[in-house]
Amino acid sequence: MPAGAVRQARKAGTTGRPLWLMAPGGLLIALVILVPAVLALWMSLLQLDQYSLRTWLSAPFVGLGNYVEAFVGSRLLHSVWVSVAFGVLTTLLTLPIGVAAALAAHNAFRGRALVRSVFLIPYVLPSFVTATIWRTLLQPSGAVNESLSWFGIDGGLWLIGDRSFWTLVLVDTWAAWPFIYLLALAGLQVIDREAHEAAALDGASWSQKLRYVVLPYLRGPLALAVIIATLSHINNFTLPYVLFGSPAPRPVEVLPMLTYTTSFQTVRFGLGSAMAILSVVLIAIPLFIYLRAVRLDTGNRAGER
Amino acid sequence: MTASTKQDAPSGEAVANAPVGRPRQSRHDAVTAVLPGWLRVVVLTLLVAAVTIPVGYILVASFMPDVDVANGQIVPDEITTQNYVRMWSTVDLAGGLANSLVVSGIVAIISAMIATITAYCLVRFAFRGRLTILRGLVALQSLPGTLLLLPIFVLFSSARTYLDITIIGTRFGLIVTYLTFALPFSTWVMVTYLRGLPRELEEAAMLDGCSPIGVLRRVVVPLSWPGIVVAAVFAFLLGWNDVLFASVMTRPETETVAVALQVFGLSQEGGAIPLYGQLMSSALVCALPVVVLYMIFQRYLVGGLTAGGVK
Repeated sequence: MPAGAVRQARKAGTTGRPLWLMAPGGLLIALVILVPAVLALWMSLLQLDQYSLRTWLSAPFVGLGNYVEAFVGSRLLHSVWVSVAFGVLTTLLTLPIGVAAALAAHNAFRGRALVRSVFLIPYVLPSFVTATIWRTLLQPSGAVNESLSWFGIDGGLWLIGDRSFWTLVLVDTWAAWPFIYLLALAGLQVIDREAHEAAALDGASWSQKLRYVVLPYLRGPLALAVIIATLSHINNFTLPYVLFGSPAPRPVEVLPMLTYTTSFQTVRFGLGSAMAILSVVLIAIPLFIYLRAVRLDTGNRAGER
Repeated sequence: MTASTKQDAPSGEAVANAPVGRPRQSRHDAVTAVLPGWLRVVVLTLLVAAVTIPVGYILVASFMPDVDVANGQIVPDEITTQNYVRMWSTVDLAGGLANSLVVSGIVAIISAMIATITAYCLVRFAFRGRLTILRGLVALQSLPGTLLLLPIFVLFSSARTYLDITIIGTRFGLIVTYLTFALPFSTWVMVTYLRGLPRELEEAAMLDGCSPIGVLRRVVVPLSWPGIVVAAVFAFLLGWNDVLFASVMTRPETETVAVALQVFGLSQEGGAIPLYGQLMSSALVCALPVVVLYMIFQRYLVGGLTAGGVK
């Protein structure tokens, strides 16, 4: 090959598309996410316990047996219900709080920088710290019940029994509203000043302004926030795990907790895998909506060359 | 983000359009304010109280004896720094902190590097499967950890059985796992960031004979620090905050601080109550590095979060 052609080829190679640069990331994702995901699917079809796990390649194949057992002989349906109720309720509670916070903190006032930093605290605290703090506060003789007793209220038990579900919802609401607040705040930045002025000229009351001027602008960002928030509540393992311990009380036995307990405490690895696969099916619904909504190529003039 | 550095201005444009000499600030407020003043005060007061009362109490409680915290004492009888002294010997908190810092620090650096390189390819070159990868990056962020925990555990154990490489129980195993979990989000952050960069500089560098890798090193990376910081900090937090994988994949020597903290919560031998005072002081110490990171990079992080759209 003439030297010129070689140079030409090399030039084309280097000024072209060095897609091999994506190899490290691609390899890691394949090895640590994609292969294990496929493996989880395979394991969900096996009879796996602590003895057969070591030789999992030759573990007995039971087909859909684990799935049947998950539906018929386990608390899966209960957990699905708890997870969905918890995810949806928490999102519904955080939504108005986050929007109100954004509306209140949007305009300048003295001390706003401080208030905005305070609003970030629950968001910044690691989940395991948040859960540890609330677990301590909500002990039967802890600070919450002590304060309630000043008003003559008997706080009772927060961390076991039926009320634990509401404890989980409230603590997660405490931790998660700043996420909605941040996305709502970003949404407020893009509202045209003209829209505000027009509303003021028309003499709109604040509730009319909120309804007809502000909320339409926020609908897009908030829809996205709601889906992401719901997904992350449903996938949340740390908060219930640290707040209630494992195995979780039945009212807070969310899917990740049930999967964890089934796999690592009752050592039914096959059944646990089947539950994990089913939880993917559950989150696939909001995820699908999210993928349709997110614009993959926003403002990208470059890609389509 | 807009070029405006003044935080109060909603956008640079609105500031530029405001006629000179008018008291812009107050007028701007009157027009764009939505909630009436009294309601704003109510909302702000309630929320500030909801955050500061529990957090403030925990700060105080971390200086109270274990028994007083357990009994929910609101006004401390006794203020002591003993919790901050004793917690280091009750559990191996220092070891946990060191492990968490090493693991999360390495995860942050490597994952930001890989994310930048990958995002550069995804943004600047057109190829088949590009949209699928972008979609995959979004989808993978929502995969539950409980799905991958067992198969990763089994894969890593098999590496020992068949290849004689020990991964389970080592920091290396944790690093590889967190690093990979951080990649979809980090890459997505960098994709959104790089899209906002003007192509002209890169094209000029190309014309001057720079290779794509040279462009990446000399032009893209120096311009992308705000995005890289966001990608790195979120990767750090993923490692720092994880309990699920750390609880299964560590030995006592490689335990991260998230796992070490759980030991305080257990009842002490002989049925004594947990050491709640020390639990509070160590929880605050666990939160400290994260809070410091946020304080340093707050401006980048909030912008990066809203651009990336995910926690």
